[in-house]
Amino acid sequence: MNMQQYNISDNNFEQCIKCTVCTVYCPVVPVNPNYPGPKQAGPDGERLRLKRGEFFDEALKYCLNCKRCEVACPSNVRIGDIIQLARIKYSKSKPTLRDMILANTDIVGTMSSAFAPIVNTTVALKPVKMVMDGVLKIDRHRTFPKYAGQTFVSWFKKEAQAKQDFYPHHVSFFHGCYINYNYPQLGKDLVKVMNAIGYGVHLLEKEKCCGVALISNGLINQAKKQAEINIESIRKSVTEENRPVIAASSTCTFTIRDEYPHLLNVENGDVRNAIELATRFIYRLIESGKVQIKYRNTEKVRIAYHTPCHMEKLGWGFYSIEMLRHIPNVELVVLDSQCCGIGGTYGFKKENYNTSQGIGASLFRQIENSGAQFVATDCETCKWQIEMSTPYKVKHPISILAENIDFEETQKLNK
Amino acid sequence: MKDFNDKNNEFDVIVIGGGITGAGTARDCALRGMKVLLVERFDFAAGATGRNHGLLHSGARYAVTDKESAAECIKENMILRKIAKHCVEENNGLFISLPEDDINFQSKFVESCHAAGIDAQIIDPAEARRIEPSVNPTLIGAVKVPDGSVDPFRLTLANIIDAKAHGAKILVYHEVIEIIKEQGRVIGITVVNHKTKETHKYYAPLTINAAGIWGHGIAEMAGVKVGMYPAKGSLLIFGHRVNNIVLNRCRKPADADILVPGDTICLIGTTSSHVGFDEVDNMRVTSEEVDLLLREGQKLAPALATTRILRAYAGVRPLVAADNDPSGRNISRGIVLLDHETRDGVSGFATITGGKLMTYRLMAEWATDLACKKLGIDKACVTMSEPLPGSRGEEPLPKGKTYDLSNRIKRSTVGRHGDMASKIASDNEFDNSLVCECEDVSVGEVQYALKELDVHNMEDLRHRTRVGMGTCQGELCACRAAGLLSEAHNCAHQAKADLAKFLNERWKGMYPVAWGEALRESEYTQWVYSGICGMNKMEEK
Amino acid sequence: MKFDTVIIGGGLAGLTCGIRLQNRGFKCAIVSAGQSALHFSSGSFDLLNELPDGTAVTNPEEAIHSLDKKHPYAKIGDKFPFYAQEAKQMLLDAGIDVRGDSKQNTYRITPMGTTMPTWLTLADFNPLKSSNEVIGKKILLVNIAGFLDFNTKFVADAFEGNGAECKIISISLPEFEKLRQSPTEMRSANIARVMENENTLNALVSQLNEKAQSFDVVALPAVFGLSSPEPIQTLKQKIKTPVCIIPTMPPSVPGIRTQKRLRRVFELAGGFYMLGDSVINAEIGDGKVYNVSTVNHGDIALYADNFVLASGSFFSNGLCASMDGVAEPVFGADVDFDPNRSTWYNASIFEAQRYRTFGVATDEHFRIKVNGKIQDNVYAIGSVLSGFDALQEGCGAGVSLLTALYVADNLKK
Repeated sequence: MNMQQYNISDNNFEQCIKCTVCTVYCPVVPVNPNYPGPKQAGPDGERLRLKRGEFFDEALKYCLNCKRCEVACPSNVRIGDIIQLARIKYSKSKPTLRDMILANTDIVGTMSSAFAPIVNTTVALKPVKMVMDGVLKIDRHRTFPKYAGQTFVSWFKKEAQAKQDFYPHHVSFFHGCYINYNYPQLGKDLVKVMNAIGYGVHLLEKEKCCGVALISNGLINQAKKQAEINIESIRKSVTEENRPVIAASSTCTFTIRDEYPHLLNVENGDVRNAIELATRFIYRLIESGKVQIKYRNTEKVRIAYHTPCHMEKLGWGFYSIEMLRHIPNVELVVLDSQCCGIGGTYGFKKENYNTSQGIGASLFRQIENSGAQFVATDCETCKWQIEMSTPYKVKHPISILAENIDFEETQKLNK
Repeated sequence: MKDFNDKNNEFDVIVIGGGITGAGTARDCALRGMKVLLVERFDFAAGATGRNHGLLHSGARYAVTDKESAAECIKENMILRKIAKHCVEENNGLFISLPEDDINFQSKFVESCHAAGIDAQIIDPAEARRIEPSVNPTLIGAVKVPDGSVDPFRLTLANIIDAKAHGAKILVYHEVIEIIKEQGRVIGITVVNHKTKETHKYYAPLTINAAGIWGHGIAEMAGVKVGMYPAKGSLLIFGHRVNNIVLNRCRKPADADILVPGDTICLIGTTSSHVGFDEVDNMRVTSEEVDLLLREGQKLAPALATTRILRAYAGVRPLVAADNDPSGRNISRGIVLLDHETRDGVSGFATITGGKLMTYRLMAEWATDLACKKLGIDKACVTMSEPLPGSRGEEPLPKGKTYDLSNRIKRSTVGRHGDMASKIASDNEFDNSLVCECEDVSVGEVQYALKELDVHNMEDLRHRTRVGMGTCQGELCACRAAGLLSEAHNCAHQAKADLAKFLNERWKGMYPVAWGEALRESEYTQWVYSGICGMNKMEEK
Repeated sequence: MKFDTVIIGGGLAGLTCGIRLQNRGFKCAIVSAGQSALHFSSGSFDLLNELPDGTAVTNPEEAIHSLDKKHPYAKIGDKFPFYAQEAKQMLLDAGIDVRGDSKQNTYRITPMGTTMPTWLTLADFNPLKSSNEVIGKKILLVNIAGFLDFNTKFVADAFEGNGAECKIISISLPEFEKLRQSPTEMRSANIARVMENENTLNALVSQLNEKAQSFDVVALPAVFGLSSPEPIQTLKQKIKTPVCIIPTMPPSVPGIRTQKRLRRVFELAGGFYMLGDSVINAEIGDGKVYNVSTVNHGDIALYADNFVLASGSFFSNGLCASMDGVAEPVFGADVDFDPNRSTWYNASIFEAQRYRTFGVATDEHFRIKVNGKIQDNVYAIGSVLSGFDALQEGCGAGVSLLTALYVADNLKK
C-alpha cells in the first residue's frame, strides 16, 4: 500500500535535516534580504503552513525557481517544488497586468510578430520604456528580445515541412515561444542539423507555450490547460506516430518533463522519457554509432559554456558539452555552474532588477576572464541576460553545430 | 523553631508542585487574596503536565466508562476555550470506527456523550475523509466531537504569570526536603535550592500537596499515606501535523488510540503500564512501546507509516489507587481532594490529585475552596470567567501583506504568547533574527523569556518558547540559544555545560526512534557537537 | 556513457579517488547526490585521535598497529604512512594548503574554544602543539555583530580556563546591514561572500589594526575565503597583530572552499562531476557490475570497468537505517550491522555510538559483497565502510583520504 497518498502533504520536506547547504547555493539569498532563503521558504515554512495556511509569506515570490537548492541538497528535498507549490496553494495575490503580459509569452508573441518592426521600435523607445517602467513595472534597463517578422512556424510550413517526410527517421520538435517569435534561426539550425543526420522534423499537432512563465507568475489554471494540450500532442506524437519529441530550450524541456507532474499535477509518466533536448538526442546517436558527423574545416574558436539552471537540474549539461567537444575546432571552457540572474520573467520585473544583476555579476566576471570569443548556452533567457550584461554574443550549441557541420557530407554518411 | 523576625517566609498557603494543578491552585489562591508560595523542584510542567497528549478533551473518551469525568471535561473544555484561548486550538475531534471495531458501540457512545452534555454528531465516513484527509479511509463510522488541543506549557506558564501578578511568590528549582510539623500539625516546609544548595524554611497555616505522582512522597514526609498508582504512558511525536482534527477510536479506551495535532507536530499515545516509584524519575520508552504506538497509530492515520518520528517520551499519570486493576484504565480519573485533617488527623495539610490536565482549573477551585474554608476567607472563585494573561487583549498580529519573514515570525510568537507577545522586542534586525529556525523563535522572544519567564536553563527556555522542539531537535538552535543564555546569565561556562545537558536530553527522546531521517539528523548533530565542537571531550573535564 | 571508473559520491573520498584516477589516466565520472559533508568540516582533517577503547593517540602511524583487523586502516596496513603522506601531497598539489604530520597529532581549536587533536589543518587556522600555547597571551576575540553561529564568550571561557587573557569585541560594518535584514541569513557563508569585497575587508582590517594594538593575538571566526584563500591571506598580511581563525558552527567556509577546489581540480583533470543526481539501479551479474543508471540520465546508463562506492554514511544516505536493519541503497551491498536495534545507541549522546560503526562489508581489497558474493569491480571507500566510529576515534577524514588513494592505486584498467 502506498501510504503517501493518504497524507495531507507530500512527506518529502521531512527529509530535510537542516544542514543549510541549500542557502549557501541559493543565488537570491546574498542579494535580496527580503527573501527568506530556500530552507525557510521551503521545508521549514511548509511545516508551519501545514499548521495554518496563514503562515504563508508572499516573499516566496522572490524565489526565481532556479532549483539550484535542489541540486545542492544532500537529502533529496524538492525545495524548489515545495516553494512553488506553496505559492500555488496559498498565495492570494492576483497577478498584475504586467505579470500577465510577461507570462503570456505566446499570445504577446503572436501579436508582436505581426507588427514586429513597430513593436521592436516601440519597446526600444525611451518614452515607451519609461511607461513600461513606471506603469507596468518592467525595468527600463531591460532590452526586450526582438520579435522576428516571420515566425518559425510560418517559415517551417512554407519552406521546410514538405521535405521532412523523405527522411528515414522522424522526430517532433517542441520549438517553444522563443524560437517561434524571437529567434527562428535557431529552429532553422535545428532542422538543418536533424536533416543532416537523417531525421525529418515535424511540428506537434498543437503546441502551446510550455507555461513556465505562467507558473512563476501564478497563472496556474492557464498553465495547466496548456500543459494538458501539450502532453496530449506529445503523447500522440510518441505513441501513435512513433516520433520522440526534441526541444532546444532547457527550460521548456525541464518544465514539460518535471514541472508538469510536480507542480501542475499533469501526468506525463508514459511519455516523459521520450521528451528530451536535441543535444542529448544527438549524443545518444553519436555514442551508439548510429550517426556520424562530418565537420567543415572552420577556424579554431574558443567558447565558454554556461550551464543554465534548469540544465543543471536536468543534469544534462554533459550532453551539450560533449557535443560541443565533439566539434574538432572548438576549444571549450566550461564555466562554473551558476545562475545568470534572469530567472525567466523574474529579472524583467522592476522590483527584481537589482537582485537579478547582482546574482549574475560573478558569472559575467567569469565570462570576461574566460578568454572565450563567445558564450554557448541552452537557455534563451540566459542568452538575453548575458548579452545585455556583457559584450559577449551567446549562441545555442545546436546553432554552433549547424555552423560547423558539413551538411552534404554528413547527410551522405547518414543516408 | 519558627523564625518570627522574618515575615518574608510566612505565607497563607504553600503550594507544592509547579505542574498545572499547582500553578492553577496558586493562581486561584492569589486571586482570592491569599499570600501564596509555590515551590517546584525543577521547572514548571516538568512532570506529567508536560508529558501527555495536550488533548483538550471533550470528555467523549470517558463518556461510556466514566460519566462524571466526561461531564467535568466538557464543562472545563468550554471554559478553557474562553479563558485560555492562546493555549487552545479548536480543532474538533473524530471518533472513528474501523472494520475491526464493533459499530454498535457507536450508538451507545453517542448516547453517553449526549447524557454528559457533549455535542456528538454521527457523520458519514465520506464526510470524515473530506474534513480530515489523513483519516484511515477504510473507516466505517465517525462521530464528531468538540475535542481540541491545549499546550500544557503555555497553560501552566499563564497561570504562573497571573499568580505572580497577584502577589504569589514562585520558587523553581526548590525541592521540599521536609514537611515541618508542630504538635501533629503541618506548619511549613524546608526546601533546598538546587542552584545554591542552600536550604530555607517557609511557613503557612496550610500546605497544599499538588506534586502529582511525587505527591506520594510529599505525603509520606507529612506522615500520611496517599496510595498512588504510577501508570506510565508513552507517546510518539511526529515531525509535522499529519492531521488537523483529533483522531480517536470509537471503542473502549485502549492503547495508542488518540492522535492529536498540536502546534507544528502531532502525537500518538498512549501506552499504559504499571511502574514502580523508583522508576518515575527516569522514564524510558522501550522498543516494544514504540512498535505498538506505530502499529496502532497507523490504523488511525495510515500516513504515519511514512512520517518522520521526532521523539518518544513517557509520563506518569498520578492516579489514586483504588483497586488492583493491572491496566490502570478503570480507575476513575476523577479529582481527589484529601483534607488530611479530617482524613488523617494531620491539620494544615491537604492533597489535590487525580484528575487530569483538562480539569486542572476545577481541581484548583476545589483546593482553593478548602483553603478559604480553613483560613476563614469568604471569596468566590472567578477562574471560570477570568481570562489568563495572553488571552485577554487583542493579539498583536501583523496587518496586511508583508514581504519578508517578519510576518511569519510574529504569527509564531503570537501563537505562543497570545497578547503577551506585545512585550517581545522586534525593533531591530538583531531582535528579529531567528534562533530556532524550525519553530520561528527570534532573539527577541528568547530574550523576553530569559528576562521575564523564570528561565534558568535551556530546558526551561524550550518549554517557554519551543526552541529545539522542531525537526532538528536543537541541532542548529541549541548553540545559539546557549549563547544568549550565557549572555543573560553572564556565565559562559555554565551555559556550555547546560548546552551539553540539553543535547543529551534531546537525544534521550530521539534514540528510541532513531532510524531513517531521524538517525541522519542525529548523526549530523553528533558531527557538529562532538566532531566540530569537541563537546564529547568537554564533558569529561 | 562509457567511463573507466564511475564513482558514486562526490565528497572528500570520491573526489580524492577521482583526482588520483584522472591523474593516472582513467576517465572518471562522479555522481553526487547533492553537496557533501565537507560543507560541515572543521577545517582540519583527523587521522586517528583515539583508539576504540578510548586510549588517546599522539602518533597515528604507531597507533594503527593496535587496531582491529576490520578497521579500514588495518587493510591499508604497512602502506599507511605512505598513503598518509600521499594524501597530504594530493591536497597540496590541489592548491589546498594544509599543515600537519602523520607521526604527531597537533591540536585544532573548536568553536567552543577547546582543543581537539588533529592531523592536517588548513592554512586558515593555526594548529597548536598543545593547549598550553595560549597561556599568558592577551587575546582580542572578535565577532561580526549579529552573527549567532560563533560565540566569543564560549571561546573566551575556554581560553581563560587555559590561562589566557581575553577581551571580546563585536564589529559592525555597513556592508552587513543588508544581510542582517534577513532573520536567517546572517550565516558564515553569506558573511564570507560579503568579505570577498576588498573594500569591506580593508575596512575590517583598519578597525582591527586600531583595536588590536595592545594584544598578542586577534581571533576571528572562519568567515573568510569562500571561493579562494585570498581574503584570509590579505587579513593575515594586513593585520599587524598575529591572526588566529576559529571555526564556526556550520556551514564551514573553509570546508566549502575545499570542496569547490577539489571539484575544480577533478574537472580540470578531465573528470565529469554530476551534481544533484542519484544512482537508482545497477546491472549486476557474475560477481561484477556492468553499469549504473541514474535519475537524470535515465535510459542512458553509465558503463565503466570499475565502480567506486564513496557514498558516505547515514547523513549522506550512503547507508539507510530502518526500524530493523541497515542497508546500502546503491548496490544493495552487504552491510555489517547488528539486527537488534536496542544495541545501536548509547544513552549519552557524547559517547561512542555503535550505529556509527555499521557500514559496508568489504574484503581486504575494499571490494563489496552482494548477497555474500564479492563484486570484482566494485570498491567501497570512506565513511560508507564498516569497522570504525569516525567521531569517537577521530578518523573520518583520514579513512576517506587513505582508502580513496589506496583503492585508486590498485585499480586496473
